Amino acid sequence: MIRFERVTKRYPDGTVAVDALDLDVPPGKTMVLVGPSGCGKTTSLRMINRLIEPTEGRILLDDEDVREQNPAHLRRGIGYVIQQTGLFPHRTVEDNIATVPVLNGWRRAKARARARELLTLVGLEQGLARRYPYQLSGGQQQRVGVARALAADPPVLLMDEPFSAVDPIVRASLQDQLIALQTELHKTVVLVTHDIEEAIKVGDLVALFRPHGKIAQLDTPERLLGAPVDDYVAGFVGFDRGIRRLSFFSTAGLSLSTGPVVAADATVAKATATDEPWILLVNGGKPLGWVPADRLAQQAGDTPLRQVPAEAVGHTFTVGTDSLRAALDAAVLSAAGQAVGVDGNGQVVGVATFDKLREAVQAEQSAADAAAEPPAPADSQSGAPA
Amino acid sequence: MIWSWIPSNGALIWQLTRENIYIGVVSALIGLAISLPLGIVAARWRWFNPPALTAVSLIYAIPAIALMIALIPALGLTDTNVIVALALFSLCVILPNVVAGLRGVPASVRQAATAMGYGPLRRLVMVELPLAVPVIMGGLRVGMVSSISLATVGQLIGVSTLGYLFIDGLQRSFPTPIYVGMVLIIAIAVGCDLVLVGVRRLLTPWVARS
Repeated sequence: MIRFERVTKRYPDGTVAVDALDLDVPPGKTMVLVGPSGCGKTTSLRMINRLIEPTEGRILLDDEDVREQNPAHLRRGIGYVIQQTGLFPHRTVEDNIATVPVLNGWRRAKARARARELLTLVGLEQGLARRYPYQLSGGQQQRVGVARALAADPPVLLMDEPFSAVDPIVRASLQDQLIALQTELHKTVVLVTHDIEEAIKVGDLVALFRPHGKIAQLDTPERLLGAPVDDYVAGFVGFDRGIRRLSFFSTAGLSLSTGPVVAADATVAKATATDEPWILLVNGGKPLGWVPADRLAQQAGDTPLRQVPAEAVGHTFTVGTDSLRAALDAAVLSAAGQAVGVDGNGQVVGVATFDKLREAVQAEQSAADAAAEPPAPADSQSGAPA
Repeated sequence: MIWSWIPSNGALIWQLTRENIYIGVVSALIGLAISLPLGIVAARWRWFNPPALTAVSLIYAIPAIALMIALIPALGLTDTNVIVALALFSLCVILPNVVAGLRGVPASVRQAATAMGYGPLRRLVMVELPLAVPVIMGGLRVGMVSSISLATVGQLIGVSTLGYLFIDGLQRSFPTPIYVGMVLIIAIAVGCDLVLVGVRRLLTPWVARS
């Protein structure tokens, strides 16, 4: 879909922003370009829609050199979203969104009808259609920016640090929105960010840049965390990459124990009989709290368990849906050091100890490593860490 | 202050008022019409900016009466003479605002417009000029008020304006027409300014009301 062939951008002062870049963005996938400031990621992005022209090499969009196309026409077929939103302050939300359809010669009424469809698509209320950008929150403006980029249904979407200017909660919801949109629309997305978390969350593929426009590693997010090619990549990905990689591992294969699970209306004697160090009280299948065995020992055997003071369960994980990272986190935060697994209805399925979690992690890791080919450094000449 | 002077000279006062409004408003609008293309050029090609703004300051320093006298050989003792002189003065205050207004368009908006597929001319007309309207209107307001006021100087080369009342009052040592002229000039200026504020509001419903 998008192919960079030996693309170099050199400025008149001799600065090399992008250095002989080869890159294929597969159709329908989200490719994230990530790296430190000055690594050439934004320059690379802007060369796709010719906001910047390369010095050498060429960029093909559907096998056609972008430089052989009329820039205005080329750009109308490529959605573009930027950090500062770049919304037109003098146009209402619907007219902002309708920009490219109107440029393509649609009648205004039809373009506005399309704009309203897009408002819904990006999760905004119809009531915002006649507002001006200054009347919107930062997050809403950014959603309008995405809607505007999608208005003419372009196959390609370029996003330049699209979520960097909003607070973390809004950012997370915008990222979720993008992931949801992608499962529906399958655009070819190139997204630039300096935030490796964002890259790992939204990317199908991540190209991690070194300074001065070379790719250090191009891989799936899971491989980037699991098998960084060198110290530079490992350093950029972060010291807790092992934990973060667990986000990609399923809890479906985790072996859960029901031994410590006892109904709250049972007696202390029944709980003591399990011989477990911690008892999970459940009521109608829902987790109530953890009780340590030594606390049970102080109670008469016929005391209802419900009357024994319990420790909070904290958060649970949904078996098969949540990742091993969520399960491990639940175990870490639990007084009992065990993660409580529930089904989609919140009913307890079983609990997992650290040992069981470790076994599941090792099984998933060896499966993932076996499935992937050994990674090749994207540029073998300069493997030294930066 | 002889109040009875006003009704007995009503027809004269009304005629002078209309002439003054005509000269002031037309001059300012011509100043705007010339400022727009010059401002667009100055905003786009930076090298044009320092000489243009220097020239504008120099022109603005010329005394109004001197400029009108200098224009007599070419334009005679006519309305045109006064309008040309005042248009030049209002150009001096409007042009810098056109440049500032266009330069003030956020880079992100300009870049987004380009990336949406606007060509340079369309982007100018559909995005940059509309966004420069508040700043340009600020310049036009100052230009119009000063044109309305300076139009009275035209009386010195025989062009009929409310300036007649000042000369008349001075020559006869009779202050009433001078007071009437001053009040009318201020009233016209305030009225035109309010009209321009209204026009600006109509053109820019998208500006946040503070």
